[in-house]
Amino acid sequence: MTDAALTVNPAEPKPRVGQSPMRRAWLILSRDKAAIGAFVVLMVIVLACLAAPLYAKYVAKSDPFRSNLSGSIEIDGKAEKIMQASTTGLGLGVTPIGPTWHGQYMLGADNQGRDVAARLLYGGRNSLLISSAATLICLVLAATIGISAGFFGGWVDMVLSRILEVLWAFPVYLLAISLSIVLLSQTIVLGPIEISSGSLALPIVIIGIIFVPYIARPVRGRVLSLRESEFVLAARGLGIPRWRILIKDILPNVTTTLIVYIPIMMALNIVTESALSFLSIGVQPPEASWGTIIQDGQGLLYTRPMVALAPGIAIVLTVLALNVLGDSVRDALDPRTKMR
Amino acid sequence: MIFFATPGSDPAARIAGRNAAQETVQAIRKDFGFDKPLPVQYAIMMKKLFVTRDLTSFVNRGLEVVPQVMRAAPITLSLVFGAAVLWVFGSIAVGVLAAMYRDTVIDKGLMILALIGVSMPVFWLGELMNLVSQSRFHDTWLFSWVPGLGYKPFFDGPWMWFKTLVIPWFTLAALYIGIYGRVLRANLVEAYQEDYVRTARAKGLSPGRVMLRHALRMSMIPFVTMFGLDFGVLVGGAALLTEVVFGLNGVGRLTYQAMLNLDLPMILATVMYASFFVVVTNAIVDIIYVVIDPRVRGH
Amino acid sequence: MKTIRHLKIAGAALAVGLLAQTALSGVAQAQDREALMKEHSGGTMMLGAVSAAGTIDPHVNYTAEFWQVFQILYDGLVKFKQASRAEGYEIVPDLAEAIPEPQDGGKTYVFKLRDGIKFADGTDMTAEDVVASFQRIFKINGPTSGSFYNNIVGADKCLAESKSCTLEGGIVADEAAGTVTFHLVAPDSEFFDKLAVPHASILPAETAATDAGTSYIPGTGAYMIESYDPNDKMVMKRNPAFSEWSVDAQPQGYPDEIVYRFGMNEESMINAIQNGQLDWMFDPPPADRLNELGTQYADQVHVNPLAAFWYAPMNTNLAPFDNVKVRQAVNYAIDRNALVNIYGGPVLAQPTCQILPPEFPGFEASCLYTENPGTTWSAPDMEKAKQLVEESGTAGQKVTVVSEDTATSRAIGTYLQSVLAELGYDATMQAISPNIQFTYIQNTDNNVQISVSQWFMDYPQASNFLNVLLSCASFNEGSDASINIAGYCNEDIDAKMTEAMQTAVTDPESANKLWAEIDKAFMEQAPVAPLFTPKNVDFTSKRVGNFIFSNQFRWLIDQSWVQ
Repeated sequence: MTDAALTVNPAEPKPRVGQSPMRRAWLILSRDKAAIGAFVVLMVIVLACLAAPLYAKYVAKSDPFRSNLSGSIEIDGKAEKIMQASTTGLGLGVTPIGPTWHGQYMLGADNQGRDVAARLLYGGRNSLLISSAATLICLVLAATIGISAGFFGGWVDMVLSRILEVLWAFPVYLLAISLSIVLLSQTIVLGPIEISSGSLALPIVIIGIIFVPYIARPVRGRVLSLRESEFVLAARGLGIPRWRILIKDILPNVTTTLIVYIPIMMALNIVTESALSFLSIGVQPPEASWGTIIQDGQGLLYTRPMVALAPGIAIVLTVLALNVLGDSVRDALDPRTKMR
Repeated sequence: MIFFATPGSDPAARIAGRNAAQETVQAIRKDFGFDKPLPVQYAIMMKKLFVTRDLTSFVNRGLEVVPQVMRAAPITLSLVFGAAVLWVFGSIAVGVLAAMYRDTVIDKGLMILALIGVSMPVFWLGELMNLVSQSRFHDTWLFSWVPGLGYKPFFDGPWMWFKTLVIPWFTLAALYIGIYGRVLRANLVEAYQEDYVRTARAKGLSPGRVMLRHALRMSMIPFVTMFGLDFGVLVGGAALLTEVVFGLNGVGRLTYQAMLNLDLPMILATVMYASFFVVVTNAIVDIIYVVIDPRVRGH
Repeated sequence: MKTIRHLKIAGAALAVGLLAQTALSGVAQAQDREALMKEHSGGTMMLGAVSAAGTIDPHVNYTAEFWQVFQILYDGLVKFKQASRAEGYEIVPDLAEAIPEPQDGGKTYVFKLRDGIKFADGTDMTAEDVVASFQRIFKINGPTSGSFYNNIVGADKCLAESKSCTLEGGIVADEAAGTVTFHLVAPDSEFFDKLAVPHASILPAETAATDAGTSYIPGTGAYMIESYDPNDKMVMKRNPAFSEWSVDAQPQGYPDEIVYRFGMNEESMINAIQNGQLDWMFDPPPADRLNELGTQYADQVHVNPLAAFWYAPMNTNLAPFDNVKVRQAVNYAIDRNALVNIYGGPVLAQPTCQILPPEFPGFEASCLYTENPGTTWSAPDMEKAKQLVEESGTAGQKVTVVSEDTATSRAIGTYLQSVLAELGYDATMQAISPNIQFTYIQNTDNNVQISVSQWFMDYPQASNFLNVLLSCASFNEGSDASINIAGYCNEDIDAKMTEAMQTAVTDPESANKLWAEIDKAFMEQAPVAPLFTPKNVDFTSKRVGNFIFSNQFRWLIDQSWVQ
């Protein structure tokens, strides 16, 4: 649904003079307050998620991957059941404990009696891991395809561009959903590697693949225009071999384009991952992610809205920070590339 | 079609029902042609879909898929159309205001809001809206008018139709107001530097007039391209998360459900429908280009 | 055999009590009914469900959702009594005048048809229609044609070549005498049960031999379907050709019109019932609304037992569950109270560690896998479970739990995964779309180790659980239709089940004793882990009166009134 979010105008190539663009960008970024703020927020989130096992052990004092449906905890000297059966009227329904705002069950429990706060941190690890790994896959694939298409031209370009166009026209989420459904119902064996249905590799690969067209197209455009630019033409005129031109002139330029995409792609991937997990075709239990926790919370929306609220807020914060960072990185690295 | 080769989906056994005898499953397999090679099955399905139009679902026996899609389409169209109106006007307002008051508090505030809109997962925003309007504040004057989830046809009462869709519209539009508002602002700011706008300003036209007549017009071209793409894809089923959260049985949800059920005929029908809309909106976008871009019209 | 069928259900004393009560109050009841009819007849009843259940062909549809509706639309030769709770298990004559005595050692039955019964299109119901209806079951490859009706003489030919099915020698009509004679291959103690389910509905002889899909086939019931659109609604009106012939089998209903709406979600249906826009919903209320319903709407909530169980079949042909110790360990380790909590608390579910549900024929309370083995489950025995796993030497193996992608099933799957992890396995969980999961877990090609499933009876006979779910014949390798999900085949128990079914023809009581033993014998081998017996929650609007719940087909829709 955020197709447009990634449409970037292929910027015209321009020879850079003086400082290396990376260095200059770094200088600009280090003076950008918004960028620094976003970076700090991100780091806090990442560190908190990395500290998940410590939180579970010392603060939550429970295993967030084990159902705890019959247990109870002590709050202010009073014993409270984690799953509280209704005692009024007909006695229908069982409600998990709500936010205690103490160490244990700070944000309450989900319908398995597990500590939501601890799961939030563990889920964040997966959400961040999936989005970064998928970003990496996406950028590598997109660069390969985009550079091949742009640099070699001819029928390679024809074929690749057509494929990208077809994928472009198909709704991303529907593509992701169909891939997930088919892949989830079987174990994939690729030579010695066996990817079982519960593996995190599945959402990573799926999310990594679906956005490739959105990056590959601008990369191709960039390479195309670079190929015709003066300095490349001059280099060719001097008889420098093509592979050297590719490595020395084209690759660094494309890399700048790709770096601009990293934060935005991560943001997009977090949202996509959570959507897939929300539809229960992303991360599979017992693993958690922010999306699966929202899904758990959907069934408790009326009684314990915190289960769905907390992971949503975590997503919004992270994605917001990534987007702010993305804007700043783009402005710093490539002021002419308009972000949409 | 990747769905043909998926295991655990022998449609014959599912049609036969629970605890069916092997003979029954075999007979149904023959009856429905599941014993034929896949390309033949595919050809038969396409023929049934386009020529005889009596393709039936694998999951609900006797349920014809074409009328199903036809019935779901107005729901999706209502949802996406309303949201599109909101996001076009919303984002133009955001973009123009921000560009006019560039680098002021208004600009910054609007851009932060837009960024928040972009950052919220649409299904979560939808749940939040449901929580607020259906449960927590449903009894207050603010949300007591909100009807239960689900779709009410326009011809059964436009007011009811409107009431059931208002919240889904805003939910779906939030993301796009954010994206489009940001793009528009950037384009407007850039257009301000262009020669013809400078000329217009030099001629003494008021800034508001310049903004609306000249800068906005040029900035609308990429805007329309984006809009065409997004609108087509959304109508084609990409609004499924909004539909799922608000219990609207539109095309997106139909497609999603068909995929979950591995209901091949239904998937075929919805995918065909989606491609149709992507093509149609692309054509419409081309026409709009001619209208707004003087350069295209000139030739 | 026919007269005391319900004796098997609730024990002799209770049944006799019921009988006496019915006999004494019969006359008074008829008068009451007339008065009530006058007072409450009329109005439109609004029902709701998340989704429709597909085709409305009674010979094809095999869902609880529409079987309930078929009760007021169609009739068979015999029918389950339209009465409260366990009385609903009783079989009464419907289109037949009486339940026939067995002849020829239980291999021949002669049904005398009632006179003057008409289909909704105005045509008379005749012996020819009965024969044609049974042929049609085979011609359209009805889901139970091979499992319920394969015992009729000539059925084997019909199963092999369905299009030319005649059932020659199996069902003989005598138009002049108004009788239909059934010849069976072997005596069958469940013959009448199989005739009483909607798949044996009598339809007009000229009905096409294809799945009717969304178009209505005229029936003999009190109501007829005026329109049906699975994505919108089903509208039922009174059948103009209907006049009441048996209060027990097909009573006249109260509402003039019944509208069944499809496509709303659970939350909005709950809201609609609270606001009086809807009278009842088919789907169970979502877990987070139960407390609200139980406190603020207590008098509109009806909780009733179900003849069903949730269970976890374990694939006895795949590691680690090919080891009986592991299967027993799982049974010991499961905290069934925890699962009851997931399902909505002790009011809505009851822990169980046997296959037959309580109050069911053949049920004898027994629990092998609990802290103090006896008749009921008390607490899990984790120590014993861990010890068994250690003895089996299987700890550390990979295990995947396959559940349905519904809130409840997913929660139960997650819990099982947690238990398996605690037992030392490398456990994961996978949730699959409800429409697919049921066939997916059956097919041995999918190598499903353990899954979450549930079974609701078709008719009140122990064999409908034990023989259907665990006989060797129910296990078909590589097929999606292999309801013995555990893939468990035990020749000895199989022989015992055959014996029990034969005994049941003449002596149902001893047969039920045998079934109780068989239940226990299975549980010793533990091919499945029974989890709990669910209860049915019906939430009705304020205006709904006379709510009657039959254990067989649940709420009797048209016996409630809306005004």
